[in-house]
Amino acid sequence: MKEDRLINLAKDVRRSIIEVACKSRSAHVGSALSCTDLLVALYFYQLKNLDVKNWKRRDIFILSKAHAAIALYAVLTKKGLITQGQFNRYFQNDGSLPAHLDRFDPQGRLRKGIEVSAGALGHGFNIAVGMSYGYKLRGDKRKVYCLIGDGESQEGSVWEGALFGAKLKVDNLTVLLDFNNLQGYGRPTQICHFMPIAAKWEAFGWQPYQVDGHDFREILDALQKPHRGKPKIIIAKTVKGKGVSFMENEMKWHYYMVTDELKEQALQKLCALIK
Amino acid sequence: MRNTVIDTITRQASLNKEIFIITGDAGFGVLDTFQERYPRRFLNLGVAEQNMIGCAAGLAMTGFKVVVYNIIPFLLYRCYEQVRNDICYQKLPVVLVGIGSGFTYAPQGITHYSVEDIVIARSLPNLIILSPADPLEAEKCAEFALNSRKPVYIRLAKSGETALHRRKPKRIDRPCVLKEGKGVAVLFHGSVGIEVMKATEDLQERPLVISLPMIQPLDFEMLRKSLKGVHTLITVEEHFAEGGLGSLVSECVVQERLRMSVKKLGIKNEFIHAVKNVSGMRRYYGINSDSIRRSIREGFRREK
Repeated sequence: MKEDRLINLAKDVRRSIIEVACKSRSAHVGSALSCTDLLVALYFYQLKNLDVKNWKRRDIFILSKAHAAIALYAVLTKKGLITQGQFNRYFQNDGSLPAHLDRFDPQGRLRKGIEVSAGALGHGFNIAVGMSYGYKLRGDKRKVYCLIGDGESQEGSVWEGALFGAKLKVDNLTVLLDFNNLQGYGRPTQICHFMPIAAKWEAFGWQPYQVDGHDFREILDALQKPHRGKPKIIIAKTVKGKGVSFMENEMKWHYYMVTDELKEQALQKLCALIK
Repeated sequence: MRNTVIDTITRQASLNKEIFIITGDAGFGVLDTFQERYPRRFLNLGVAEQNMIGCAAGLAMTGFKVVVYNIIPFLLYRCYEQVRNDICYQKLPVVLVGIGSGFTYAPQGITHYSVEDIVIARSLPNLIILSPADPLEAEKCAEFALNSRKPVYIRLAKSGETALHRRKPKRIDRPCVLKEGKGVAVLFHGSVGIEVMKATEDLQERPLVISLPMIQPLDFEMLRKSLKGVHTLITVEEHFAEGGLGSLVSECVVQERLRMSVKKLGIKNEFIHAVKNVSGMRRYYGINSDSIRRSIREGFRREK
Protein backbone atom coordinates (compact mmCIF):
# COMPACT_ATOMS: atom_id res chain seq x y z
CA MET A 1 0.00 0.00 0.00
CA LYS A 2 1.14 3.53 -0.78
CA GLU A 3 0.64 4.51 2.88
CA ASP A 4 3.03 1.78 4.04
CA ARG A 5 5.69 3.01 1.67
CA LEU A 6 5.29 6.54 3.01
CA ILE A 7 5.40 5.33 6.62
CA ASN A 8 8.72 3.65 5.96
CA LEU A 9 10.09 6.66 4.15
CA ALA A 10 9.02 8.91 7.01
CA LYS A 11 10.83 6.64 9.44
CA ASP A 12 14.03 6.96 7.39
CA VAL A 13 13.63 10.71 7.19
CA ARG A 14 13.13 10.99 10.96
CA ARG A 15 16.18 8.84 11.55
CA SER A 16 18.34 11.05 9.35
CA ILE A 17 16.99 14.19 11.02
CA ILE A 18 18.02 12.83 14.43
CA GLU A 19 21.43 11.79 13.19
CA VAL A 20 22.23 15.07 11.48
CA ALA A 21 20.75 17.12 14.33
CA CYS A 22 23.06 15.27 16.67
CA LYS A 23 26.08 15.80 14.44
CA SER A 24 25.36 19.50 14.09
CA ARG A 25 24.05 20.12 17.62
CA SER A 26 21.29 22.19 16.10
CA ALA A 27 17.89 23.25 17.42
CA HIS A 28 14.30 22.92 16.12
CA VAL A 29 14.31 19.12 16.09
CA GLY A 30 10.76 19.02 17.46
CA SER A 31 9.54 21.39 14.74
CA ALA A 32 11.13 19.21 12.06
CA LEU A 33 9.66 15.95 13.36
CA SER A 34 6.23 17.53 13.56
CA CYS A 35 6.04 18.25 9.81
CA THR A 36 8.00 15.23 8.58
CA ASP A 37 4.94 13.25 7.51
CA LEU A 38 3.51 16.25 5.64
CA LEU A 39 6.77 16.71 3.74
CA VAL A 40 7.02 13.01 2.95
CA ALA A 41 3.46 13.01 1.62
CA LEU A 42 4.27 16.00 -0.58
CA TYR A 43 7.62 14.88 -1.92
CA PHE A 44 6.94 11.16 -2.28
CA TYR A 45 3.38 11.30 -3.47
CA GLN A 46 1.97 14.70 -4.35
CA LEU A 47 4.54 16.94 -6.06
CA LYS A 48 4.76 16.42 -9.80
CA ASN A 49 7.67 16.68 -12.20
CA LEU A 50 10.56 16.67 -9.79
CA ASP A 51 12.57 14.54 -12.21
CA VAL A 52 15.40 16.09 -14.22
CA LYS A 53 13.52 15.89 -17.51
CA ASN A 54 10.45 17.81 -16.30
CA TRP A 55 12.19 19.99 -13.72
CA LYS A 56 11.25 23.24 -15.50
CA ARG A 57 7.55 22.57 -14.98
CA ARG A 58 7.73 21.08 -11.52
CA ASP A 59 5.25 21.77 -8.75
CA ILE A 60 6.58 24.27 -6.24
CA PHE A 61 6.92 23.71 -2.51
CA ILE A 62 7.73 26.59 -0.18
CA LEU A 63 8.66 25.90 3.43
CA SER A 64 7.48 29.07 5.13
CA LYS A 65 8.21 27.77 8.66
CA ALA A 66 11.79 27.52 7.55
CA HIS A 67 13.19 26.78 11.01
CA ALA A 68 12.23 23.20 10.14
CA ALA A 69 14.69 23.34 7.21
CA ILE A 70 16.46 20.20 8.44
CA ALA A 71 13.31 18.20 7.66
CA LEU A 72 13.23 19.57 4.12
CA TYR A 73 16.94 18.85 3.67
CA ALA A 74 16.38 15.29 4.86
CA VAL A 75 13.59 14.81 2.32
CA LEU A 76 15.56 16.46 -0.49
CA THR A 77 18.53 14.23 0.35
CA LYS A 78 16.32 11.18 0.04
CA LYS A 79 15.09 12.62 -3.27
CA GLY A 80 18.65 13.02 -4.47
CA LEU A 81 18.40 16.80 -4.79
CA ILE A 82 20.91 17.30 -1.97
CA THR A 83 23.86 14.96 -1.54
CA GLN A 84 24.31 12.97 1.66
CA GLY A 85 27.69 14.67 2.03
CA GLN A 86 26.07 18.11 1.94
CA PHE A 87 23.41 17.07 4.41
CA ASN A 88 25.99 15.59 6.80
CA ARG A 89 27.61 19.02 7.01
CA TYR A 90 24.37 20.83 7.72
CA PHE A 91 24.81 23.77 10.11
CA GLN A 92 28.54 23.22 10.29
CA ASN A 93 31.54 25.37 9.71
CA ASP A 94 32.16 25.61 5.94
CA GLY A 95 29.15 23.44 5.16
CA SER A 96 26.62 24.62 2.60
CA LEU A 97 23.27 24.23 4.38
CA PRO A 98 22.26 26.81 6.99
CA ALA A 99 19.59 26.22 9.62
CA HIS A 100 17.13 28.35 7.64
CA LEU A 101 16.66 28.30 3.90
CA ASP A 102 18.94 30.00 1.39
CA ARG A 103 18.20 29.41 -2.27
CA PHE A 104 21.78 30.35 -3.11
CA ASP A 105 24.77 28.22 -2.17
CA PRO A 106 27.85 29.83 -0.55
CA GLN A 107 29.21 30.53 -4.04
CA GLY A 108 26.07 32.45 -4.92
CA ARG A 109 24.68 29.86 -7.33
CA LEU A 110 21.01 29.00 -7.30
CA ARG A 111 20.51 25.77 -5.41
CA LYS A 112 18.28 23.08 -6.84
CA GLY A 113 15.34 22.17 -4.63
CA ILE A 114 15.26 25.24 -2.39
CA GLU A 115 12.67 27.41 -4.12
CA VAL A 116 12.65 30.32 -1.71
CA SER A 117 15.05 31.68 0.90
CA ALA A 118 13.17 31.90 4.16
CA GLY A 119 13.55 31.94 7.91
CA ALA A 120 11.71 34.93 9.32
CA LEU A 121 8.11 33.86 9.78
CA GLY A 122 5.26 35.10 7.62
CA HIS A 123 7.27 35.50 4.41
CA GLY A 124 7.13 32.28 2.39
CA PHE A 125 3.36 32.21 2.58
CA ASN A 126 2.95 35.56 0.81
CA ILE A 127 5.52 34.62 -1.81
CA ALA A 128 3.46 31.46 -2.40
CA VAL A 129 0.34 33.58 -2.94
CA GLY A 130 2.18 35.75 -5.47
CA MET A 131 3.71 32.75 -7.23
CA SER A 132 0.47 30.85 -7.56
CA TYR A 133 -1.20 33.95 -8.99
CA GLY A 134 1.71 34.37 -11.39
CA TYR A 135 1.39 30.81 -12.65
CA LYS A 136 -2.36 31.20 -13.04
CA LEU A 137 -1.91 34.32 -15.15
CA ARG A 138 0.63 32.55 -17.30
CA GLY A 139 -1.70 29.60 -17.83
CA ASP A 140 0.94 27.40 -16.22
CA LYS A 141 -0.79 24.32 -14.81
CA ARG A 142 1.67 23.57 -12.05
CA LYS A 143 0.64 23.68 -8.40
CA VAL A 144 2.10 25.59 -5.49
CA TYR A 145 2.28 24.14 -1.96
CA CYS A 146 3.33 25.96 1.17
CA LEU A 147 3.81 24.83 4.75
CA ILE A 148 3.22 27.31 7.57
CA GLY A 149 3.38 26.94 11.34
CA ASP A 150 0.76 27.67 13.95
CA GLY A 151 3.03 30.13 15.76
CA GLU A 152 3.72 31.65 12.35
CA SER A 153 -0.01 32.16 11.92
CA GLN A 154 0.19 35.01 14.41
CA GLU A 155 2.04 37.11 11.85
CA GLY A 156 -0.08 39.87 10.37
CA SER A 157 1.37 39.11 6.95
CA VAL A 158 -0.31 35.69 7.03
CA TRP A 159 -3.72 37.30 7.39
CA GLU A 160 -2.93 39.90 4.75
CA GLY A 161 -2.11 37.04 2.42
CA ALA A 162 -5.23 35.18 3.52
CA LEU A 163 -7.36 38.16 2.44
CA PHE A 164 -5.68 38.53 -0.92
CA GLY A 165 -5.15 34.85 -1.71
CA ALA A 166 -8.90 34.35 -1.60
CA LYS A 167 -9.51 37.51 -3.61
CA LEU A 168 -7.05 36.34 -6.28
CA LYS A 169 -8.80 32.94 -6.37
CA VAL A 170 -5.54 31.03 -6.39
CA ASP A 171 -7.02 27.54 -6.61
CA ASN A 172 -3.61 26.23 -7.62
CA LEU A 173 -2.35 26.91 -4.09
CA THR A 174 -2.51 24.50 -1.17
CA VAL A 175 -1.28 25.63 2.21
CA LEU A 176 -0.56 23.11 4.97
CA LEU A 177 -0.76 24.35 8.53
CA ASP A 178 1.43 22.38 10.91
CA PHE A 179 -0.76 22.68 14.00
CA ASN A 180 1.37 21.14 16.74
CA ASN A 181 0.15 23.69 19.27
CA LEU A 182 3.61 24.54 20.52
CA GLN A 183 5.65 27.56 19.65
CA GLY A 184 8.80 29.20 21.01
CA TYR A 185 7.49 30.02 24.45
CA GLY A 186 3.99 28.65 24.85
CA ARG A 187 0.99 27.19 23.08
CA PRO A 188 -0.77 29.09 20.28
CA THR A 189 -4.16 28.19 21.72
CA GLN A 190 -3.15 29.86 24.99
CA ILE A 191 -1.07 32.76 23.69
CA CYS A 192 -3.78 34.15 21.44
CA HIS A 193 -7.35 33.50 20.37
CA PHE A 194 -6.20 30.85 17.92
CA MET A 195 -9.34 28.75 17.68
CA PRO A 196 -11.53 28.13 15.78
CA ILE A 197 -8.78 28.10 13.19
CA ALA A 198 -10.60 26.31 10.37
CA ALA A 199 -13.58 28.65 10.68
CA LYS A 200 -11.24 31.63 10.49
CA TRP A 201 -9.71 30.48 7.21
CA GLU A 202 -13.11 29.59 5.85
CA ALA A 203 -14.38 33.05 6.73
CA PHE A 204 -11.40 34.50 4.87
CA GLY A 205 -12.58 32.68 1.74
CA TRP A 206 -10.35 29.61 1.83
CA GLN A 207 -11.36 25.97 1.52
CA PRO A 208 -10.24 24.33 4.77
CA TYR A 209 -9.76 20.63 5.44
CA GLN A 210 -8.73 19.18 8.78
CA VAL A 211 -6.58 16.09 9.11
CA ASP A 212 -4.43 14.13 11.48
CA GLY A 213 -1.03 15.31 10.29
CA HIS A 214 0.54 11.92 10.96
CA ASP A 215 -2.05 9.81 9.15
CA PHE A 216 -1.03 9.44 5.52
CA ARG A 217 -4.44 8.31 4.38
CA GLU A 218 -6.02 11.48 5.72
CA ILE A 219 -3.21 13.69 4.41
CA LEU A 220 -3.36 12.22 0.90
CA ASP A 221 -7.16 12.43 0.88
CA ALA A 222 -7.09 16.09 1.81
CA LEU A 223 -4.43 16.80 -0.81
CA GLN A 224 -6.77 15.39 -3.49
CA LYS A 225 -9.85 17.25 -2.29
CA PRO A 226 -11.23 19.88 -4.66
CA HIS A 227 -11.08 23.61 -4.03
CA ARG A 228 -12.46 25.25 -7.14
CA GLY A 229 -12.04 29.00 -7.23
CA LYS A 230 -10.49 29.07 -3.78
CA PRO A 231 -7.10 28.43 -2.25
CA LYS A 232 -7.01 25.37 -0.01
CA ILE A 233 -5.69 25.08 3.52
CA ILE A 234 -5.09 21.74 5.18
CA ILE A 235 -5.05 22.13 8.93
CA ALA A 236 -2.92 19.24 10.05
CA LYS A 237 -3.13 18.38 13.73
CA THR A 238 0.38 17.31 14.58
CA VAL A 239 2.59 16.50 17.54
CA LYS A 240 5.81 18.40 18.03
CA GLY A 241 8.69 15.92 18.21
CA LYS A 242 6.52 13.16 16.70
CA GLY A 243 8.11 9.73 16.73
CA VAL A 244 10.43 10.18 19.67
CA SER A 245 8.36 9.76 22.82
CA PHE A 246 10.52 11.90 25.07
CA MET A 247 10.40 14.76 22.57
CA GLU A 248 6.70 14.58 21.86
CA ASN A 249 4.64 17.61 22.81
CA GLU A 250 7.55 19.12 24.76
CA MET A 251 8.29 22.80 24.26
CA LYS A 252 11.96 22.34 25.12
CA TRP A 253 12.40 20.38 21.90
CA HIS A 254 11.98 23.63 20.02
CA TYR A 255 15.50 24.35 21.33
CA TYR A 256 17.23 21.30 22.79
CA MET A 257 20.14 19.66 21.10
CA VAL A 258 20.49 15.96 20.46
CA THR A 259 23.49 14.67 22.41
CA ASP A 260 25.09 11.34 21.49
CA GLU A 261 23.30 9.66 24.36
CA LEU A 262 19.94 11.13 23.44
CA LYS A 263 20.50 10.19 19.82
CA GLU A 264 20.76 6.50 20.70
CA GLN A 265 17.62 6.71 22.79
CA ALA A 266 15.79 8.58 20.08
CA LEU A 267 16.76 6.12 17.36
CA GLN A 268 15.56 3.24 19.54
CA LYS A 269 12.22 4.99 19.99
CA LEU A 270 11.97 5.40 16.23
CA CYS A 271 12.68 1.73 15.67
CA ALA A 272 9.94 0.85 18.11
CA LEU A 273 7.54 3.07 16.19
CA ILE A 274 5.63 0.60 14.08
CA LYS A 275 2.31 1.39 12.64
CA MET B 1 8.91 62.70 -12.26
CA ARG B 2 6.20 60.39 -11.01
CA ASN B 3 4.25 60.68 -14.26
CA THR B 4 7.40 60.42 -16.36
CA VAL B 5 8.39 57.17 -14.66
CA ILE B 6 4.93 55.64 -14.93
CA ASP B 7 4.51 56.83 -18.54
CA THR B 8 7.85 55.28 -19.44
CA ILE B 9 6.81 52.01 -17.80
CA THR B 10 3.43 52.10 -19.53
CA ARG B 11 5.09 52.70 -22.91
CA GLN B 12 7.50 49.82 -22.36
CA ALA B 13 4.66 47.56 -21.25
CA SER B 14 3.32 47.39 -24.79
CA LEU B 15 6.60 45.81 -25.90
CA ASN B 16 7.52 43.91 -22.77
CA LYS B 17 4.58 41.69 -21.86
CA GLU B 18 6.14 40.74 -18.53
CA ILE B 19 5.85 44.21 -16.99
CA PHE B 20 3.45 44.10 -14.06
CA ILE B 21 2.47 46.91 -11.68
CA ILE B 22 1.48 46.33 -8.06
CA THR B 23 0.33 49.23 -5.92
CA GLY B 24 -0.41 49.42 -2.24
CA ASP B 25 -3.53 51.50 -2.75
CA ALA B 26 -1.67 54.53 -4.14
CA GLY B 27 -1.64 55.95 -7.65
CA PHE B 28 -4.97 57.71 -8.06
CA GLY B 29 -4.75 59.51 -11.41
CA VAL B 30 -1.24 58.15 -12.02
CA LEU B 31 -1.74 54.46 -12.71
CA ASP B 32 -5.13 54.79 -14.44
CA THR B 33 -3.81 54.47 -18.00
CA PHE B 34 -1.70 51.43 -17.18
CA GLN B 35 -4.57 49.79 -15.37
CA GLU B 36 -6.99 50.42 -18.25
CA ARG B 37 -4.57 49.19 -20.88
CA TYR B 38 -3.17 46.20 -19.01
CA PRO B 39 -5.75 45.09 -16.42
CA ARG B 40 -4.26 41.62 -16.25
CA ARG B 41 -0.89 43.02 -15.34
CA PHE B 42 -2.09 45.33 -12.61
CA LEU B 43 -2.95 44.64 -8.98
CA ASN B 44 -3.98 46.90 -6.16
CA LEU B 45 -2.94 44.85 -3.13
CA GLY B 46 -4.51 47.33 -0.76
CA VAL B 47 -3.30 48.55 2.57
CA ALA B 48 -1.28 45.44 3.33
CA GLU B 49 2.33 46.25 2.64
CA GLN B 50 3.95 43.02 3.84
CA ASN B 51 1.78 40.98 1.52
CA MET B 52 2.31 43.51 -1.27
CA ILE B 53 6.08 42.93 -1.25
CA GLY B 54 5.81 39.15 -0.68
CA CYS B 55 3.41 38.79 -3.61
CA ALA B 56 5.67 40.98 -5.76
CA ALA B 57 8.50 38.55 -5.01
CA GLY B 58 6.33 35.54 -5.86
CA LEU B 59 5.17 37.08 -9.15
CA ALA B 60 8.76 37.98 -10.02
CA MET B 61 9.76 34.35 -9.43
CA THR B 62 7.33 33.27 -12.12
CA GLY B 63 8.98 35.62 -14.61
CA PHE B 64 7.09 38.90 -14.39
CA LYS B 65 9.01 42.17 -14.29
CA VAL B 66 7.27 43.57 -11.25
CA VAL B 67 7.06 47.28 -10.42
CA VAL B 68 5.77 48.10 -6.94
CA TYR B 69 4.40 51.61 -6.52
CA ASN B 70 3.75 53.24 -3.16
CA ILE B 71 4.51 56.14 -0.87
CA ILE B 72 8.05 55.55 0.41
CA PRO B 73 7.29 54.81 4.11
CA PHE B 74 4.84 52.14 2.95
CA LEU B 75 7.25 50.76 0.39
CA LEU B 76 10.43 50.53 2.44
CA TYR B 77 9.74 51.06 6.13
CA ARG B 78 6.53 49.22 6.97
CA CYS B 79 7.71 46.20 5.02
CA TYR B 80 11.48 46.53 5.41
CA GLU B 81 11.96 42.86 6.27
CA GLN B 82 10.00 41.81 3.20
CA VAL B 83 12.12 44.06 0.98
CA ARG B 84 15.23 42.64 2.64
CA ASN B 85 14.35 38.94 2.69
CA ASP B 86 11.87 38.52 -0.15
CA ILE B 87 13.32 40.88 -2.76
CA CYS B 88 16.98 41.67 -2.05
CA TYR B 89 18.10 38.39 -0.44
CA GLN B 90 16.45 36.42 -3.25
CA LYS B 91 18.03 38.83 -5.76
CA LEU B 92 14.83 39.45 -7.67
CA PRO B 93 14.78 42.23 -10.29
CA VAL B 94 11.76 43.97 -8.77
CA VAL B 95 11.47 47.74 -9.25
CA LEU B 96 10.37 49.66 -6.16
CA VAL B 97 8.98 53.04 -7.17
CA GLY B 98 8.69 55.26 -4.11
CA ILE B 99 7.02 58.63 -4.11
CA GLY B 100 7.08 61.46 -1.60
CA SER B 101 10.85 61.81 -1.12
CA GLY B 102 12.01 64.12 1.67
CA PHE B 103 9.17 66.33 2.77
CA THR B 104 7.28 66.35 -0.50
CA TYR B 105 4.10 65.80 1.48
CA ALA B 106 4.71 68.55 4.04
CA PRO B 107 2.91 69.45 6.20
CA GLN B 108 1.29 66.00 6.38
CA GLY B 109 3.56 65.06 9.28
CA ILE B 110 6.68 62.93 9.49
CA THR B 111 4.83 59.61 9.23
CA HIS B 112 4.50 60.51 5.56
CA TYR B 113 7.95 62.01 4.98
CA SER B 114 10.87 59.98 3.80
CA VAL B 115 13.96 61.53 5.24
CA GLU B 116 15.81 58.32 6.09
CA ASP B 117 15.02 56.12 3.08
CA ILE B 118 18.50 56.38 1.56
CA VAL B 119 20.25 55.24 4.72
CA ILE B 120 17.74 52.40 5.04
CA ALA B 121 18.07 51.37 1.40
CA ARG B 122 21.85 51.59 1.65
CA SER B 123 21.73 48.79 4.20
CA LEU B 124 20.38 46.42 1.57
CA PRO B 125 22.92 44.51 -0.54
CA ASN B 126 21.93 43.90 -4.19
CA LEU B 127 19.64 46.93 -4.15
CA ILE B 128 20.35 49.68 -6.67
CA ILE B 129 19.28 53.11 -5.43
CA LEU B 130 18.22 55.76 -7.95
CA SER B 131 17.24 59.28 -7.00
CA PRO B 132 16.58 61.36 -10.12
CA ALA B 133 16.58 65.13 -9.94
CA ASP B 134 14.31 65.98 -12.84
CA PRO B 135 11.97 64.32 -15.35
CA LEU B 136 14.82 63.67 -17.80
CA GLU B 137 16.82 61.75 -15.25
CA ALA B 138 13.64 60.05 -14.10
CA GLU B 139 12.91 58.71 -17.57
CA LYS B 140 16.42 57.35 -17.85
CA CYS B 141 16.11 55.81 -14.38
CA ALA B 142 12.87 54.06 -15.35
CA GLU B 143 14.52 52.65 -18.48
CA PHE B 144 17.52 51.52 -16.45
CA ALA B 145 15.31 49.87 -13.83
CA LEU B 146 13.24 47.98 -16.38
CA ASN B 147 16.42 46.48 -17.82
CA SER B 148 18.08 45.77 -14.49
CA ARG B 149 18.62 42.21 -13.36
CA LYS B 150 18.91 43.36 -9.76
CA PRO B 151 16.31 45.00 -7.55
CA VAL B 152 16.05 48.76 -7.97
CA TYR B 153 14.62 51.44 -5.70
CA ILE B 154 13.62 54.68 -7.45
CA ARG B 155 13.14 57.62 -5.13
CA LEU B 156 10.73 60.21 -6.50
CA ALA B 157 9.12 63.37 -5.21
CA LYS B 158 5.84 63.86 -7.08
CA SER B 159 5.15 65.52 -10.41
CA GLY B 160 5.72 68.91 -11.95
CA GLU B 161 9.47 69.19 -11.33
CA THR B 162 11.42 71.55 -13.60
CA ALA B 163 13.91 70.01 -16.01
CA LEU B 164 17.48 70.70 -14.91
CA HIS B 165 19.13 68.97 -17.84
CA ARG B 166 18.89 70.27 -21.37
CA ARG B 167 18.54 66.79 -22.77
CA LYS B 168 18.14 63.32 -21.40
CA PRO B 169 21.42 62.19 -19.82
CA LYS B 170 23.06 59.27 -21.62
CA ARG B 171 23.83 57.43 -18.41
CA ILE B 172 22.46 57.70 -14.93
CA ASP B 173 24.90 55.25 -13.41
CA ARG B 174 27.54 57.98 -13.55
CA PRO B 175 27.78 61.48 -12.12
CA CYS B 176 25.85 63.96 -14.28
CA VAL B 177 27.67 67.26 -14.52
CA LEU B 178 25.16 70.10 -14.75
CA LYS B 179 27.53 73.05 -14.44
CA GLU B 180 31.26 73.10 -14.99
CA GLY B 181 33.36 74.77 -12.36
CA LYS B 182 36.18 74.26 -9.89
CA GLY B 183 37.24 74.89 -6.33
CA VAL B 184 33.88 74.04 -4.84
CA ALA B 185 31.69 71.16 -6.02
CA VAL B 186 28.04 70.79 -5.13
CA LEU B 187 26.84 67.17 -5.19
CA PHE B 188 23.18 66.41 -4.84
CA HIS B 189 20.44 63.92 -5.61
CA GLY B 190 16.71 64.22 -6.05
CA SER B 191 14.22 67.03 -6.42
CA VAL B 192 16.14 69.40 -4.13
CA GLY B 193 18.39 69.89 -7.18
CA ILE B 194 16.23 72.83 -8.20
CA GLU B 195 17.48 74.65 -5.09
CA VAL B 196 21.06 73.95 -6.09
CA MET B 197 20.43 75.30 -9.58
CA LYS B 198 18.83 78.45 -8.16
CA ALA B 199 21.70 78.88 -5.70
CA THR B 200 24.25 78.83 -8.50
CA GLU B 201 22.40 81.23 -10.78
CA ASP B 202 23.82 84.76 -10.91
CA LEU B 203 26.69 83.66 -8.73
CA GLN B 204 30.05 85.31 -9.25
CA GLU B 205 31.89 82.16 -8.24
CA ARG B 206 31.65 79.10 -10.50
CA PRO B 207 31.17 75.89 -8.53
CA LEU B 208 31.03 72.50 -10.17
CA VAL B 209 27.46 71.17 -9.97
CA ILE B 210 26.88 67.44 -10.15
CA SER B 211 23.74 65.37 -9.86
CA LEU B 212 24.19 61.80 -8.63
CA PRO B 213 21.10 59.88 -9.63
CA MET B 214 22.69 56.53 -8.78
CA ILE B 215 23.57 56.44 -5.12
CA GLN B 216 24.09 52.71 -4.78
CA PRO B 217 26.41 51.58 -6.16
CA LEU B 218 28.07 54.98 -6.29
CA ASP B 219 30.62 55.30 -9.09
CA PHE B 220 33.10 57.15 -6.94
CA GLU B 221 35.94 56.48 -9.36
CA MET B 222 34.15 58.50 -12.05
CA LEU B 223 33.19 61.11 -9.52
CA ARG B 224 36.78 61.48 -8.33
CA LYS B 225 37.92 62.07 -11.89
CA SER B 226 35.46 64.90 -12.35
CA LEU B 227 36.57 66.51 -9.09
CA LYS B 228 39.94 67.73 -10.37
CA GLY B 229 40.78 71.10 -8.88
CA VAL B 230 38.12 70.80 -6.21
CA HIS B 231 38.97 71.42 -2.57
CA THR B 232 35.51 71.62 -1.04
CA LEU B 233 32.57 69.31 -1.50
CA ILE B 234 29.09 70.39 -0.54
CA THR B 235 26.50 67.65 -0.53
CA VAL B 236 22.86 68.66 -0.69
CA GLU B 237 19.95 66.31 -0.12
CA GLU B 238 16.40 66.37 1.11
CA HIS B 239 17.24 63.57 3.53
CA PHE B 240 18.79 63.29 6.97
CA ALA B 241 22.24 64.84 6.91
CA GLU B 242 23.66 61.75 8.63
CA GLY B 243 23.31 58.55 6.65
CA GLY B 244 22.56 59.76 3.14
CA LEU B 245 24.69 60.87 0.22
CA GLY B 246 26.70 63.19 2.43
CA SER B 247 27.78 60.33 4.66
CA LEU B 248 28.49 58.11 1.70
CA VAL B 249 30.67 60.74 0.02
CA SER B 250 32.47 61.43 3.30
CA GLU B 251 33.28 57.74 3.62
CA CYS B 252 34.67 57.68 0.10
CA VAL B 253 36.75 60.81 0.68
CA VAL B 254 38.30 59.28 3.79
CA GLN B 255 38.83 55.95 2.13
CA GLU B 256 40.51 57.49 -0.91
CA ARG B 257 42.49 59.89 1.30
CA LEU B 258 41.37 62.85 -0.78
CA ARG B 259 42.34 66.29 0.43
CA MET B 260 38.88 67.72 0.41
CA SER B 261 36.55 69.00 3.03
CA VAL B 262 32.97 67.83 2.96
CA LYS B 263 30.07 69.99 4.06
CA LYS B 264 26.85 68.05 4.41
CA LEU B 265 23.68 70.00 3.85
CA GLY B 266 20.72 67.89 4.83
CA ILE B 267 17.91 67.63 7.31
CA LYS B 268 18.91 67.46 10.95
CA ASN B 269 18.33 63.89 12.17
CA GLU B 270 15.28 64.46 14.31
CA PHE B 271 11.53 63.89 14.28
CA ILE B 272 10.07 66.85 12.47
CA HIS B 273 7.37 68.65 14.40
CA ALA B 274 7.49 71.89 12.41
CA VAL B 275 4.39 72.54 10.31
CA LYS B 276 5.53 74.10 7.05
CA ASN B 277 5.22 73.54 3.34
CA VAL B 278 8.12 72.20 1.27
CA SER B 279 9.83 75.54 0.74
CA GLY B 280 9.32 76.43 4.39
CA MET B 281 10.87 73.13 5.42
CA ARG B 282 13.80 73.56 3.06
CA ARG B 283 14.48 77.01 4.50
CA TYR B 284 14.05 75.77 8.10
CA TYR B 285 16.50 72.90 7.62
CA GLY B 286 19.00 74.87 5.56
CA ILE B 287 18.69 73.14 2.22
CA ASN B 288 17.05 75.98 0.28
CA SER B 289 18.86 78.00 -2.37
CA ASP B 290 19.90 80.76 0.05
CA SER B 291 21.54 78.34 2.47
CA ILE B 292 23.25 76.50 -0.36
CA ARG B 293 24.55 79.76 -1.81
CA ARG B 294 25.95 80.74 1.59
CA SER B 295 27.77 77.43 1.89
CA ILE B 296 29.19 77.76 -1.60
CA ARG B 297 30.53 81.26 -0.87
CA GLU B 298 32.00 80.06 2.39
CA GLY B 299 33.70 77.27 0.50
CA PHE B 300 35.25 79.68 -1.96
CA ARG B 301 36.33 82.01 0.87
CA ARG B 302 38.17 79.18 2.57
CA GLU B 303 40.26 78.76 -0.55
CA LYS B 304 41.81 82.20 -0.19
